[in-house]
Amino acid sequence: MVTFQAHDGPVYSMVSTDRHLLSAGDGEVKAWLWAEILKKGCKELWRRQPPYRTSLEVPEINALLLVPKENSLILAGGDCQLHTMDLETGTFTRALWGHTDYIHCLALRERSPEVLSGGEDGAVRLWDLRTAKEVQTIEVYKHEECSRPHNGRWIGCLATDSDWMVCGGGPALTLWHLRSSTPTTIFPMRAPQKHVTFYQDLILSAGQGRCVNQWQLSGELKAQVPGSSPGLLSLSLNQQPAAPECKVLTAAGNSCRVDVFTNLGYRAFSLSF
Amino acid sequence: MELQLKGSVIVLTLNSTNNGVTSGWEEGKYYSEEAEVDRRDPGRDYELYKYTCQELQRLMAEIQDLKSRGGKDAAVEIEDRRIQSCVHFMILKKLNRLAHIRLKKGRDQTHEAKQKVDAYHLQLQNLLYEVMHLQKEITKCLEFKSKHEEIDLVSLEEFYKEAPPDISKAEVTMGDPHQQTLARLDWELEQRKRLAEKYRECLSNKEKILKEIEVKKEYLSSLQPRLNSIMQASLPVQEYLFMPFDQAHKQYETARHLPPPLYVLFVQTTAYGQACAHMKSSQPPRQDKTLSVAIEGSVDEAKALFKPPEDSQDDESDSDAEEEQTTKRRRPTLGVQLDDKRKEMLKRHPLSVMLDLKCKDDSVLHLTFYYLMNLNIMTVKAKVTTATELITPISAGDLLSPDSVLSCLYPGDHGKKTPNPANQYQFDKVGILTLRDYVLDLGHPYLWVQKLGGLHFPKEQPQHTVIADHSLSASHMETTMKLLKTRVQSRLALHKQFASLEHGIVPVTSDCQYLFPAKVVSRLVKWVSIAHEDYTELHFTKDIVEAGLAGDTNLYYMALVERGTESDACSSPSSGKGCHSQDVKYRTLLPLCSPCTHLGGIESCDSSQLSWHLIGQGFLLEPPRCCLWCCHPAPALAAKLQAAVVLNPGYSSIPPVFQLCLNWKGEKTNNNDDNIRAMESEVNVCYKELCGPRPSHQLLTNQLQRLCVLLDVYLETESHDDSVEGPKEFPQEKMCLRLFRGPSRMKPFKYNHPQGFFSHR
Repeated sequence: MVTFQAHDGPVYSMVSTDRHLLSAGDGEVKAWLWAEILKKGCKELWRRQPPYRTSLEVPEINALLLVPKENSLILAGGDCQLHTMDLETGTFTRALWGHTDYIHCLALRERSPEVLSGGEDGAVRLWDLRTAKEVQTIEVYKHEECSRPHNGRWIGCLATDSDWMVCGGGPALTLWHLRSSTPTTIFPMRAPQKHVTFYQDLILSAGQGRCVNQWQLSGELKAQVPGSSPGLLSLSLNQQPAAPECKVLTAAGNSCRVDVFTNLGYRAFSLSF
Repeated sequence: MELQLKGSVIVLTLNSTNNGVTSGWEEGKYYSEEAEVDRRDPGRDYELYKYTCQELQRLMAEIQDLKSRGGKDAAVEIEDRRIQSCVHFMILKKLNRLAHIRLKKGRDQTHEAKQKVDAYHLQLQNLLYEVMHLQKEITKCLEFKSKHEEIDLVSLEEFYKEAPPDISKAEVTMGDPHQQTLARLDWELEQRKRLAEKYRECLSNKEKILKEIEVKKEYLSSLQPRLNSIMQASLPVQEYLFMPFDQAHKQYETARHLPPPLYVLFVQTTAYGQACAHMKSSQPPRQDKTLSVAIEGSVDEAKALFKPPEDSQDDESDSDAEEEQTTKRRRPTLGVQLDDKRKEMLKRHPLSVMLDLKCKDDSVLHLTFYYLMNLNIMTVKAKVTTATELITPISAGDLLSPDSVLSCLYPGDHGKKTPNPANQYQFDKVGILTLRDYVLDLGHPYLWVQKLGGLHFPKEQPQHTVIADHSLSASHMETTMKLLKTRVQSRLALHKQFASLEHGIVPVTSDCQYLFPAKVVSRLVKWVSIAHEDYTELHFTKDIVEAGLAGDTNLYYMALVERGTESDACSSPSSGKGCHSQDVKYRTLLPLCSPCTHLGGIESCDSSQLSWHLIGQGFLLEPPRCCLWCCHPAPALAAKLQAAVVLNPGYSSIPPVFQLCLNWKGEKTNNNDDNIRAMESEVNVCYKELCGPRPSHQLLTNQLQRLCVLLDVYLETESHDDSVEGPKEFPQEKMCLRLFRGPSRMKPFKYNHPQGFFSHR
């Protein structure tokens, strides 16, 4: 196992390109070469800080998103903006702003160059990358079906698949139809969800509580697979078409273990750190 | 018949006359056949008998002959013959009678003769017995032994050489062994008389010498008080010259009777005490001693232990006898005997070493060291006295108790198990399971005590012989003494703190004030000690128990921090000035467009809020807000934060561990709320910020105060439910840069001192 210190504070987000590992935590994004990590070296390749407007507190970066078509990286977090960085030159090209509180999560629509962002202010905003404009705003907490005022209005997780979008957090986990911006399915889960993803015809979600939840699109709970952490923060599916036999789901949360599911039905083993 | 009988007699007489035999018939006038028998010859009677028989045969044959012939005259003839034969029968009868008489006579004679023979035989037997008896007597006499043969006599040559001639009398005794023996006995008697005389003389001599000794002893004992008075008189001089030889000498004298480990301890502590005193000595030594050593207990008993073993054996046999008696009387059970054996095994040496360790604030730690002779281990009892009288808070019960004050002085040294591995075998014999049950009586056998006494018990070799070692004791002395001091001081500090904690006041010293904002609304309402079992049964302490941090040597407490009850509505429990009527209770924060314009009309607004305003205008992102009294009565839900505290005996070098459980809108623990987890890490992990000035005795109270602040932040930053009408339950009074941060929506728990705002860590 290789361990190296990447940031002083917590690491909130990591993405991987073909050659690089990008990590972000407090204010900075850093790049590491996979080749060197595999050789147990850990030299930082580069680091970038988006232009922040305040200097009192360095805003954190909560989400990273790769846009392969234009070879850029989108960063979002504490300063309520989406920053676009060109991976070729390492310069920040745009800042999209409109959120009134910090941003929790990002999601990319595959076909059109559009990005979804969800934040503490309770809104999911749809951005067009070409025009750098806000296209659509869904204020989830304002819809009575899914609003849960006692949990707050924050949107903690977001996933999208063509015209569909699923989001959760303070409000209930909800499936939205984007073109008509109406909630179609509300999933009956009390605990706030921290991560959600589409998988084939299922929706996987995790949050407060030990279980990875598997939902049918109709809103039925298909399965709840218990993990080893009291609360889960992140799910990750390895769907590389190159290696279909390595298809695994990993789940990490607020314990020292990362659970590995080789089959969606049960936890195969845990990596303990 | 009579006729016939008379006729036969006549015939017989006739016959006898015919035979020419003189009969008595004519001589005596009586007739006696017995007499006739004597006169007649048996041989002749036999001839007669034969003749008669022949005659009868002849007559019978003639009769037969006549009858066979038959004739007329035959009948006469037969008659004649019959008469003749009758006569013959008569004769036969007579002969028969005679024969009978003769037989009878013969028998009588034989009987008589036989009786005579019997009498003679008996006489013979008696005589034979007598002979035998006499023979026995003779042999007895021959075998007789005299007493003198047992006496050891001097040999013959010696006798003739040494004995005076009037006793030996050689000429008489040489030939006669009897006389010789007598003479030798005489000589023996003479000699013995002389020896007895000598013995008596020796006895009287001894008596005389004893008397002399007695007199000399009296003289010596009369000398002692005089010497003592001289010593007494010299004491002021010694003191004046700072030469406490006398006292030290006395102690060393007693120390001679200490068992080896206690002796090592005594010597080493005395040495250490003197060294310390010398190091500090700008003043004369031994004036400001922080460490004093004394020996306690009866020296006589200690001496008695070294008496010759006979005495003790006697005692034992006595006690055995007593035991036997008691067994007869009340038959004690096996358990009673086992009890006695246990007592014997756990016996302490009568001497003990008292060590008084004085701390800077005049509190004293009294340590009494004992030595268990049969187990070869040392134990210690501790007591703490303070200069001023302490009010004992209920929750501080265990803090200064002799049982736990020294627990885990070194990590893991709880002093409940015997450090000597060999003891286990001894315990097995008398049925002691562990030493733990006896520790209260005997004192604790901490490992450091053994080391101070120079006893080193290796873990792997149970039967290793253990000898008291000076160097071992010396090497542990300084660190142990320092640890003891810090332990006592931290315990005393805790003791004082607990007293105010129980009254709901968290004492924060002025040098730690900068760690907390000026206004803390949450209050400590309860501080109690709980049992270890209760702690492990709490649902939110499972992680600590599983991590093995909840050993039974730790102390456990439960703190309850509250906010939101009636009394909380006023800014502090002591001041009621803020409230004028029952309605005016709840405050709220209102955003204001122009800062500070309304302040003049507000009744009470303390300085911290004012300063907040000033800072807020300077650089805050959010619009500044002002605190107003609001008259809406809103339902106040008391938020109760339970904190289970594990206090390691090694406090304050080892920090206490807090586990939290918040009861407010449901139960929140680190399992279901990341912010509770963050609060725990604030007090448990970031404890170094809270230590305060060394030796960081303020740690626990600072942690509790921090907890109050954290609860304030937690409650005030909780997102407000817009759907419910009315003001926020807990208005935000703390200045925060941002309310939430990161994917897990952490609240700003970090307090920045001079500016007074809260930020994320």
